[in-house]
Parts: sequence; structure tokens; C-alpha cells
Amino acid sequence: MTRLLSIFWHKLGSINLTVALCLLLTADLVWGYFCLNRRTALFTPLNDMGLIAWMQTYGINNLLFTGWFFLLLTLLTLLSVNTFACTTSRVVQLLRAKGPGGGRRLALKLAPHIMHYGLIVILAGYLCSYLFTEVLTSSTLAPGTHLSLPGAGGQVSLLAFEPEYYQGQRLAFWKDEVISPKARLLLSDGASQREEMLSCNRPVRFQGYSFHLIDFAPKSLGGMKMKTRIDLNIRKDPGVGLYLAGMALFSLGLFFYVYDWIVYREAHK
Amino acid sequence: MQSNTTMYRLAGGLLTLITLITLCGCNSDSQSGTEKTTGEERPAFLQIGEFAINRISPDRTEVRDGAGRTLVLIPRKAPMPADCAPNQVVRVPVQRVVAYGDFDIATLRALGVQETLVGVTRSKEHWYVPEIKRGMEAGRIVYLGDASSIDFERLNQQQPELVLTWDPSIIPLLDDLHIATVVTTTPQAMCLTARMRFVQFLAPFFHKEKEADAFFARIDASLRDIRARTAGVAHQPKVMWGDVYEKRVMVEPGNAWVGELVGLAQSDYQFEDVFGTSCIEITVERFLYSGQDADIFFTYRTGSMGATSKAALAKLNPLIKDIGPLQRGRVYAPLPHYSQSGDKLDEILTEISAILHPEVYPDYQLHYFVELPDTDPIAAKEASHDRI
Repeated sequence: MTRLLSIFWHKLGSINLTVALCLLLTADLVWGYFCLNRRTALFTPLNDMGLIAWMQTYGINNLLFTGWFFLLLTLLTLLSVNTFACTTSRVVQLLRAKGPGGGRRLALKLAPHIMHYGLIVILAGYLCSYLFTEVLTSSTLAPGTHLSLPGAGGQVSLLAFEPEYYQGQRLAFWKDEVISPKARLLLSDGASQREEMLSCNRPVRFQGYSFHLIDFAPKSLGGMKMKTRIDLNIRKDPGVGLYLAGMALFSLGLFFYVYDWIVYREAHK
Repeated sequence: MQSNTTMYRLAGGLLTLITLITLCGCNSDSQSGTEKTTGEERPAFLQIGEFAINRISPDRTEVRDGAGRTLVLIPRKAPMPADCAPNQVVRVPVQRVVAYGDFDIATLRALGVQETLVGVTRSKEHWYVPEIKRGMEAGRIVYLGDASSIDFERLNQQQPELVLTWDPSIIPLLDDLHIATVVTTTPQAMCLTARMRFVQFLAPFFHKEKEADAFFARIDASLRDIRARTAGVAHQPKVMWGDVYEKRVMVEPGNAWVGELVGLAQSDYQFEDVFGTSCIEITVERFLYSGQDADIFFTYRTGSMGATSKAALAKLNPLIKDIGPLQRGRVYAPLPHYSQSGDKLDEILTEISAILHPEVYPDYQLHYFVELPDTDPIAAKEASHDRI
């Protein structure tokens, strides 16, 4: 039984399996490219309704165009298991072998494996996001209006929309178009208040929620007169911590790896 | 050698998995329309472009509107669900509606629920629909002001249960008034299927699913007729749909229903590669490039907006005077009632097809578009008078 498990474990961590999975992932993503083209409406809800609900609705009813995504999940799971088995086998070997250089040398030898573990944690973080994120979709705010956060007792108000318009001369068709939408928000939790500036690439965090700007109006000084508004995606994402931890782990491994190459190996030439 | 064999086996196994999933995919996709039902023979989940309907139970339907907001439809006397915000809940069948868009109102007519309409954003003289004119005269339907400056006090007096709008900026105010809002436009242009099925998206709000299905079947039949008639045509005209304004050039993208229809009717749409929102902005250079060899041009402008003749259009936009349709082809302008005739979508689709291929629609009389003459009759008369 132990021998069988050992064989299974080695097969699971096989480099041949890694190569096969990478080739299949490439082929699957090519398939995905053609399925995604002009069918973004099928996949956009995945960002707010969660993976399970999406699979039960959009996913299962459009398998011809979403099949590649189900396969991607399967392949990524297999790749994670393969990476874990392969990395763990190597780590166990390294820990058992008492080579020269002590703990510092061992840490440097573990660098690529730390990166591999980091990658697995990042993937787990994304899976966690898609499974457990709580999303309030398209909450719209106009100047002077507010919205309440469920369960948290907090309130978010839009104080002002202060976009930057293109005023350059080079791109005439961009003249007076918004190039950087910025919204000044007032965040209050009953006891205290604070102002934050929200823009496309700068979400605001408050009471465990993150606020993301997804649309706004008006988009230019001229043209059709649209009333001022911002559309927000408000998310409570438990996966963020996990993939930030994964990134930190990956960065640590990368640091050890670079240190090993630049400092240690150069010094011991 | 052995490792190679293992690899081939693994790859073979996974390829088999892909094939199985793909085959299942084809199978499930074709069955999705009828397999999952909730008592009635109706799909549990229906995606219509960026809209969606998810029938959770006989007493609960969740819909996703054009802005990606989820609304929960419950029977009028059902208790308020605890798992969603009150502003997400719509009690159905809805009895009083305010609508911004012409197509929304046309869809209400297609469903046979036009009597629920109590407010519009177009004054009486701009309406060509007799029921709405009569409703406004009787005071049942109220003009709420222009869409950009709605009189919310008047809107509130009309006590609507639902507002159909393209303007999400009114949502916070309507939330305060406890009026449900549905955004009926989408970030991407509606494709042909979405345009045809939009009626099925609004149907659950009024318990008019059968009427919606009948409407869709009618449009589908007209589309099949178009496909059959145009299948063997020899010439594929090149078509453009849009206009050049003072500072901007707007066209219908290839993913819009008109772009798809042109392709389906054995014609070439010149903006097939343009993807995005309806009435999308492109560069004037692109418009002129596509116009060089185009045969037919549909302008957004109506006669009252200056589209009275090719010469008048060229005078409005000297830049476009040399494009193919103005020089040697045909130009069509919508008639004023066109935008309010969405409930006659089958006739509109047929008319567009008849314009593209007059050879397979002999003696067809236009009802929604007008072909622009080379010059305005009056201008031509004046010119000949000057020559004399």
C-alpha cells in the first residue's frame, strides 16, 4: 500500500505531467481566446456573482463557449497538485541531505521551491476570491447621495466628481475628454468621518470593503449632457489576503534566488 | 522511452477529457432551452445579451439588468425577502411604469401592457403612437420633462412601481423614493438576438411570458424568411450605418443588431470590425475610408434633422460628399416614427432586407425609411429657376 502511494505520489509530481499540463493549458487558452472574442457578456458576471453561481447559470448553459474555462480550472488544479507534489518531494530531499553551508545555504537552495509554493498560494487566493467574494454590483452614486454598507453600519457619500480632462494639443479627438476620473468620497462609520479620493486604478478600502470605480458620467466636457454619477463595484474579498501572502512568498523566493545567483555563487566561484 | 509512453498516455487521457467536455457542451447547450423548467415549459436561466433571467422558484425570479444590477421579482403579496436590499425587489406584475426609451415603450406594446405606462420623457407632439397620444390627452400618461431634466416631483406623483431608463444617475434618487429602476441599455450594443429577445427580458415583470414568446417567434419567422429570400442573391452590397456630426463621427458597430442583420442578409457591413457600444464614435478618416466603396448609407438623421437629400447631407457635412453612397449609391434616412416602432421589429428587419436586396422584394413599399433623392425638390427647382 505504501509502495503504491509512493508510486502515485511520484507520478503526481512527474515533470512529464508538468510538460503535458503546460501544453494542454496552452491549447486550452487558445481555445479560450476564440471563445472570449466578442463574448465578454458571458464572462463579465463571473466578477460579481461568484464562481459557483456563474457555473450553474452562464457556465452550464453555454458549454460550447465556457467549456474551455471549466477545463482551465481542471488543468490549473492538476498543475497545482503536480507542483505541490514535485516541490514537496524536492524539499524533503533537500531537508534530508545535510550539505555544506548550513541553514543559509539551505534557504538559498529552497528559493525556487518557495516560489512554487507562492504560486500555489496565489492560485488558491484567486479561487477563494471567485468562491467567497461578496459583491454589491453597480451601486450608483450621484453628488450628495449616499449608500449604506450591509451589516457594517458604514455610509459612503459622493462629495464631488473631479475628473481631469485632456487639454493637450497632440490628440485633437481627446480634447476635453476625461482622462482621469476622480471621485471624492466621504466615508463615515457613525463615530468618525474621512475623505478619500477614488479613481480607476485606486480603489478605496473601508470597513473590510473595497470600492472600485467601474463607470462614470459625464465622460467629456462637450457632447451629450449627462448627469454626474459614478458606478461602483463594492467587494468584500477574503482572497486578497491569501494572494498577497502568495505574492510575498513568491517575492521572498525570488529574492533568495537572485541573492544565490548574484552574491553567493559569484563569491564562491 | 517509458517516460515518453507515460507522457503520451497522460496527454491522450486529457485530450479525451477535452473531447468529452466539448461534446457535453454541444449537447447541453442545445438542451438548455427546455431541460430546466419551473413548472411551466420555460428555461430556468435565460441570457439575453448582457441581460439575464434566472427563475429561482415560482415565487422568485432574479434578473440582471443592463448595468449588471440584480433585481428580485416576487409576487405582489409575497413577504419581503430577507436576503436582498428593498431597492432590489420588484413586485410583479408591475402595474405602473415610467419609461425613458422608445424601444422600452415599444416593448411594452409588444407585450400588450401599454396601459401600465404612466410617464414618458418626450412631449406629446413628438409621439407617433396613437395610444400614447391618447393617454397623454386623457392625462393618464404624463410628460415628465426631458430625460436630462426630469421633474421628479411629478414622477413621484405618478406613483410608478418601475422606471425603465438608460440613465443610471437617477437610481440613487429613485431608491430614496422607493421606486425600482431597471437600466435597459447595455455597455455593448445589443446584438440581433438580444434585440429580438429583449421582450423576454421585460416579460417576467408583467407575467407576459407567453406574449413575449409569441413576439419572438414572429420576429424569428421574419428572419428565417429574410435568410431564405437572400440566400441566392448575386450581389452583396456594402453598407454603412451612422453619421458625421459637427465634432464627432458615430456609427453602429459590427456587433450591433443592424451590423448582424446586414451580414445575415447577404451584404457586407463596412464597420463589421468595430466592436462596442451602440452609436460608437470612430475617426472621420475611418468613416471616409469605409465610405469609398460603400453602396448604401443609412443615416441617423431624420428629415427634420436635415437629411432631406444627398445634396443636403453633403452640404451639412462637406467631408462626406465624396463617399460612394452619396456619389453613386443609395442613402436612406429613418422616418420620424421609425424609432418608436420597435414592436414592429419584424417589419423593420424585412424593410432593411428589402432595401439591401430590392431584386428579391419586388414592389416593396418603404414604411420606416425613405430613400433620399439627389437634390431637394425645392432646391432643384430654385437652381433651375436661377439658370433660367
